[in-house]
Amino acid sequence: MRWLIIFAAVTAYAQQTSPATYDPDHKIRLQGAVTRIDWANPRAYVFVNVKEASGQVENWAVEIGNPLELEKSGWKASTLRIGDVIAIEGLPARGQSKRALASSVTRNGARLFAVANLAQTAAKGAEAPPRWPDGHVRLGPEPGKKGYWGAASTGALVQDSARGLAMSQDGLLKNLADADKVAPFLPWAKAVYEYRQRSLLKDDPILRCLPPGGPRQFQTANGFQFIEQPELDRILVLLGGGDRNWTVIYTDDRPAAQGDDLVRTYYGTSVGHWENKDTLVVESVGFNERFWMTAGGLPHTEALKLTERFSRPDFNTLKYEVTVDDPRTYTRPWSGGWTMKWVPDQDMQEYFCEENSEATFVR
Amino acid sequence: MRRRTWLGLAITVIAVAQQGHPLTGTWSGDWGPSATERHQITLVMNWDGKNVTGLINPGPDSMPLTSVFVDVTNWTVRIEAETKDTMHISAEGKLQDLGSYHRFITGTWKQGAVTGDFKITRD
Repeated sequence: MRWLIIFAAVTAYAQQTSPATYDPDHKIRLQGAVTRIDWANPRAYVFVNVKEASGQVENWAVEIGNPLELEKSGWKASTLRIGDVIAIEGLPARGQSKRALASSVTRNGARLFAVANLAQTAAKGAEAPPRWPDGHVRLGPEPGKKGYWGAASTGALVQDSARGLAMSQDGLLKNLADADKVAPFLPWAKAVYEYRQRSLLKDDPILRCLPPGGPRQFQTANGFQFIEQPELDRILVLLGGGDRNWTVIYTDDRPAAQGDDLVRTYYGTSVGHWENKDTLVVESVGFNERFWMTAGGLPHTEALKLTERFSRPDFNTLKYEVTVDDPRTYTRPWSGGWTMKWVPDQDMQEYFCEENSEATFVR
Repeated sequence: MRRRTWLGLAITVIAVAQQGHPLTGTWSGDWGPSATERHQITLVMNWDGKNVTGLINPGPDSMPLTSVFVDVTNWTVRIEAETKDTMHISAEGKLQDLGSYHRFITGTWKQGAVTGDFKITRD
């Protein structure tokens, strides 16, 4: 007997899915016939008639992921057909609605393939990183090749001493009493962070398609790409998430903007320089206060200054280290970081966020 | 009519939540001793890392806030100021709907000998 097993890219995809919608602490298993397929960006749904224990048949809406990521991994809108009997494992929606987020879908009698997780698609092996003729490491693809940096190894930024703290990929702490460990909060900031955690991150601006400013731009499920332009003394960062936004890192030794020169934005203004040809050091200021700088709801103010360090210890790994300095929010500067894996031979997929897209299944 | 429509659209577009200190920003609303006697008020507040500072009714008749205290355990707020003729203002309320685009503060407003209620909403 052959089975079709489709693993939805929950780890990567979950970053655009609110824990206020799905309950990560419970699992659900459903079985039934497909009645409808809604193949729409950014969230594809399969509707299934499920026979409940009472004998009554209920129609469930099962979210299976972003159709662009699904297509990249072998899914098509036609992979499932109306009438197919499938089994689904995943997370139930909170409340009483007949809705779930799939982590796997199986169908009897078809060939097997799997949806890849962006964080796991890097080529194997640990070759030396590619370098420019002047010796400094390349952060983007080599000439004539494709590739970009995939999802981050962790969904939320925490200070180094708190790495490994139990939390979901969305940054929801397993134990709210651990909030003190996440960052050295001022009292108001801790209270705001705890409020956001208690309300299951429902007010996260990214759910309303606002840009993922600050460190979060390097944490979206869709990845990002460096375009290095040494002849122009600048590096562009193209974001796969955040509605194809971009940032510019100037490497022409200009001073960091300050005072009235600052225009407050989601991504701030950035200047960078190379340290020992191995590490790009970027200083950014000029952030507005309209975003959460990481999943989980860490607050900040306009006083935020970031010092970010990008290094490529091997071909497939990008190491990201950031120091957060915001004396109006934290008692002292603090540091954290994560790694990302190279996604070879591919361009980033087109992704546009739709506001209130979590409700699109009812259209 | 068309002009009003465009103005309404612009206001909708810029209604983006401020995610930093919950009191920072411009708040507008009214206070008064009764439902029929109301006074429009605008407060501008800013968190400087140690204190919340600001003004009531920015402009030629503005009044600086002399003290703002917020208890982050329950988000109660106490605001004090003085009018130009040295009348004391004391407002005590509760910050509500903290995560909303338009969070608001409601409570009791005392100005001189007059006591009433107030509600201000963050623009």
